[in-house]
Amino acid sequence: MNNTHETPVVKLRGVHKTYRLGAHVIRALQGVDLTVERGELLALTGPSGSGKSTILNLAGLIDTPDSGDIILNGQKVNDLDEEARTLMRRDSLGFVFQSFNLVPVMTVAENVDYPLFIAGVAPAERKVRVAAQLEAVGLQDHAHHRPDALSGGQRQRVAIARALVKRPRLVIADEPTASLDSHTADQVLDLMRERCHAEGAAFVIATHDSRLTSRCDRIVALLDGRLV
Amino acid sequence: MNWMWLKFAVQNTLRNRRRSLVTVTIAALGTAAILLAGGFALFTYESLAEAQARESGHLVIGKPEQFVKDEETPLQYGLDDVAKLRAQLLADSQVRAVLPRVDFSGLVSNGDKSVVMIGLGVEPDAEFSVKGPFLTITEGEVLSNGANGSKGPEIMLGDALARNLKVKPGSSLTLLASTTEGSLNAMDVTVKAVFSTGVPEVDKRLIYTDIATSQKLLNTQKVSSLGIFLSRMEHTEGAQARISSAAPQLKVLTWEEKAVFYRAVRDLYNRIFGALGLIIGVIVVFVVTNAMSMAIIERTREIGTLRAMGTLPRQLLRTLSLEGMVLGGVGAIVGILVALAVSIFLYTANIQMPPPPGRSVGYPLYVNIHAVLYIGTGLLMVALTMLASAFVARKTVHMPVVDALAHT
Repeated sequence: MNNTHETPVVKLRGVHKTYRLGAHVIRALQGVDLTVERGELLALTGPSGSGKSTILNLAGLIDTPDSGDIILNGQKVNDLDEEARTLMRRDSLGFVFQSFNLVPVMTVAENVDYPLFIAGVAPAERKVRVAAQLEAVGLQDHAHHRPDALSGGQRQRVAIARALVKRPRLVIADEPTASLDSHTADQVLDLMRERCHAEGAAFVIATHDSRLTSRCDRIVALLDGRLV
Repeated sequence: MNWMWLKFAVQNTLRNRRRSLVTVTIAALGTAAILLAGGFALFTYESLAEAQARESGHLVIGKPEQFVKDEETPLQYGLDDVAKLRAQLLADSQVRAVLPRVDFSGLVSNGDKSVVMIGLGVEPDAEFSVKGPFLTITEGEVLSNGANGSKGPEIMLGDALARNLKVKPGSSLTLLASTTEGSLNAMDVTVKAVFSTGVPEVDKRLIYTDIATSQKLLNTQKVSSLGIFLSRMEHTEGAQARISSAAPQLKVLTWEEKAVFYRAVRDLYNRIFGALGLIIGVIVVFVVTNAMSMAIIERTREIGTLRAMGTLPRQLLRTLSLEGMVLGGVGAIVGILVALAVSIFLYTANIQMPPPPGRSVGYPLYVNIHAVLYIGTGLLMVALTMLASAFVARKTVHMPVVDALAHT
């Protein structure tokens, strides 16, 4: 699935990121270089504090590096203003969170529809794409349910459908199986892998879960803010 | 506006129903309080304006000095030959009636006792038919034109003055006043009726008689001024401009320029009810601010999620403002319904207010239903709640997405 002739979905080049917690300075990333290709399922592993989430935040354009470059779809995004970054997230990125982060007052269909709605997709097309995504994740019969009526696994499937419905180039997933039991986690992992390859979107997944890493195309290990 | 934002806002207001109910209730009570207080003030203004216009006429025309100078002798600045002027004024299609008036003062005596009086010479038939029931006749019958032939000059006097002089209808009194030449004149009159204006201080002094009697007493053919009664209150300013230009040598005042009491009450009520409205507005803003603050703090992580998915801060600000609009809008609608119900009840219940200071009779408690007031208050409530929501939301929707997602 890696196609070296295509522009990488995201490329981190010499990225440094430092956080300050009171008097403490935490070097979250120290010169990280990372390239994610189109359709690649990439696992980021490492102990807590190794910098996995920081890479996800930077690749997901919800945080900015202290130095180094982040190149998304061939475009350097370091210097983009907040609105441009927001619009780039809207158009090119999907997110899957550990605790699902579905909007509780929306139905399953409305949650999946939301990214298309804010992107200004026509209602008729939204309806078709939402139905297709729900069918793909096996939740077409739950379209009008609220998230609180679903199991954890079902909620994460809704989150995956929500992330993929706008056909993003990159999906950022932070510990997507951490809140799930092993059987459900397996199902979700299979689904992610299947959808990744079906949609052609790259997945960058931060995880401690060895079952997940075994299903990924590539594993990148981090320690103390460096790739190992 | 896309309806989905509104739908999302409505769904969000239903997350914590008890909190939303409290917010809506406060907005409803605030709206109802403003509408009822404002409606009462408008009823009061309207009543006072009607009373003043009925008493003086919508317009009063006279010599300019009549309104600004003190007379050295009675009717020094009075109008001559009013018949021609009346005919000219009555030619205006908006003029319903023109009533002459002679203002005079002097003494009224029962033979044993003399009391200072303020007299009004009027054309009784026209005066009482045009003005309607502006006096309460407590004894006797109202004055009428041409009644002087058999019984001689007749007067009506205030009930306090009648008690002071120990007279009743049919009793004889003597009026004493300075003539236009400055000499003293006296005239025997018969009491036709006793009335009450509802203002004890006025009822101690006031007498009504017909124009001819007053002119005879003052030894003149002049009148003090002419009261012009229009077909509609709203014609006042236009008619004033037309009549002023047609008779530039004379001064034309509106009822409002003559209405010192009306202006004083209106200024006082505007301040009182303005302060009340301000307090209510502040309370509503605080309640909505508090409710929205709690709602937004609870949803900080969700806001971070929506931001991560590509929602612009202004889109979130809009939907959170719409939540305020929904709360304020529902509150305003409920408040309007409550105010309407109370106002209609008061129109049917005929509840009497106690007499205000300086008066001896109460008045019905009515609350006007004024479309502009209702629409304005409703819009104000919606605007206040929207602004309050936007104010508390602005910080959260602009906070870094990473921080919002990490919020617990």
